Amino acid sequence: MSFESSLDMTSNGVARITLSGKLDSSTYREFEGLIGQAIANKAKRVALLLGGLSFMASAGLRVLVFAKQKLGSSVDIYVIEAQEQVVDTITMTGLEHSVTMLDSYDAAVVEKF
Amino acid sequence: MPLSEEKAFPVSLDALKDMRDYVATAAAGLPIDKKKLYKLQLAVDEIATNIILYSGLNEEDAKIFMACEIKKNSLIIQLRDQGVPFDPRHKLEMEKACLSKPTEERRIGGLGIYLAITGVDEFRYEYMDGFNVNCLNVNFC
Repeated sequence: MSFESSLDMTSNGVARITLSGKLDSSTYREFEGLIGQAIANKAKRVALLLGGLSFMASAGLRVLVFAKQKLGSSVDIYVIEAQEQVVDTITMTGLEHSVTMLDSYDAAVVEKF
Repeated sequence: MPLSEEKAFPVSLDALKDMRDYVATAAAGLPIDKKKLYKLQLAVDEIATNIILYSGLNEEDAKIFMACEIKKNSLIIQLRDQGVPFDPRHKLEMEKACLSKPTEERRIGGLGIYLAITGVDEFRYEYMDGFNVNCLNVNFC
């Protein structure tokens, strides 16, 4: 499956970014572009819905670091439904401390301000 | 099984998927668990990405050559290229040092070599006859 991505903003300012397929150096710019849109939309939180993402190379980590640095510490990033190998890649590089991992999208958590 | 016949891939990011698929085909039928296979594919993806972006090779006149070998209980994937000599192990310590920094202070990018080398059971590099030769091994039962 090729890479697909989309962004929708909730009315209360959560940028919900859905990624599926394989995220590598040939596709990460798309993801980076959506982070840019979330910043432009003044997102208060970013929820990354990764249930359909079957592969993530370091290019994906690059975007996570970019997102954390550009959004600032006041904007929490949620990594949701990530597959085991994707979680492994995030934890191997210590980035799990910079995001909140959730098994499923829970509006009571992600959209509670 | 001796080293297989080499397969040539374009020096292009668009070839990464085919390279990962090459690894899956090489592992087909071997008792390699899903997690290990994923890490091997990730390692090949990262080494190949490095070659494509930084070796100085261009798509028009160069290729990345891949081959595989099964030796006892190991699957070995070899990548060869004629780019500038580069031993990925030389970058490992720099990438490891990045891991101890808070995300806010990290350089954006540059964890691929770490993921590649630590994700396989053995990583070997040599420069031979004008080629960088990267070998990635995973063991199976």
